[in-house]
Amino acid sequence: MNTTLPKLLAISSPGGHWIQLTRLCQGLEGRYHIVYAMPGDLFGTASTLKGKKVYSVTDVSADDKWKLIPCALQVLYVLLKERPQAILSTGAAPGFVAVWLGSLLGIRTIWVDSIANVKQISRAGRLAQKRADVFLTQWEHLSNGQDILFKGAVL
Amino acid sequence: MIFVAVGTQFPFDRLIRSVDEWVGQHQMAGIAQIAGGEYLPQHLRWERFMTTDTFNQHLQAASLIISHAGMGNIITALENRKPIIVMNRQHALGEHRNDHQLDGLAWMGKLSGVYTATSQDELYALLERQHDLQAATQTPGARRQTLVDFIDQAIRFPKQGGKPA
Repeated sequence: MNTTLPKLLAISSPGGHWIQLTRLCQGLEGRYHIVYAMPGDLFGTASTLKGKKVYSVTDVSADDKWKLIPCALQVLYVLLKERPQAILSTGAAPGFVAVWLGSLLGIRTIWVDSIANVKQISRAGRLAQKRADVFLTQWEHLSNGQDILFKGAVL
Repeated sequence: MIFVAVGTQFPFDRLIRSVDEWVGQHQMAGIAQIAGGEYLPQHLRWERFMTTDTFNQHLQAASLIISHAGMGNIITALENRKPIIVMNRQHALGEHRNDHQLDGLAWMGKLSGVYTATSQDELYALLERQHDLQAATQTPGARRQTLVDFIDQAIRFPKQGGKPA
């Protein structure tokens, strides 16, 4: 563990969000001390992440919004314990929770909307947009050049 | 060998049944990851969920990947240089909360190594010519690097890009 590097919390839902997030983080490892968080007990930690700190948080879907409460408490715990300099998320609900709590704590927040959202910004993204310091889409046509930026994509 | 995977969020029985019946007719071997599906494959070996490492082992052992139109499986297949056929879930059939997988299908099909089907007929047409399907010619590169570098700059130098810190 290199404590001289700035600390980054990378957080997302499992599945496609997480795959995109970890691919972005592959390029940031070495430049940051990255701590991860995802709803992930179910599928084990990939061997590529062995040795990394991966917090497990409660997942939230549109069908069980009440889980925002345990999710928020867990994310708050991670933020207070780790005190990251910045938060990076690709979505969905856990990322939105982290962006809101992070902005309240004065942590720099960066949202990268999933590349799966081709026609419009995701629902969680629209909610996170109010709070994120930097809001990125992976589609040039969804960018407005001001508060929704296009600066590349995972594919 | 074929590896068919539907993600972890929802079942996708229509896809699993289609592939299962096809491999049964063509005496092919395959493995399926079926999530909470009710249809249990008769010909494919199957598991509901897999650890990430087991999933990657099956994917690497397969010659062809078939998947719901989800980004995780597409990215993983491209990185492992495996051709992948994706079929979109349909909101009208209760297979997802919306039709964003259909929205994505057009650009997914433009990716090297990705083939798209909107129906069983289109899926079977692709399976008939599966030996012509090519893996991605290169792994994701320049677009990802510019995004990573921008994120790095945006963290380090708050004044550039986005709201001031």
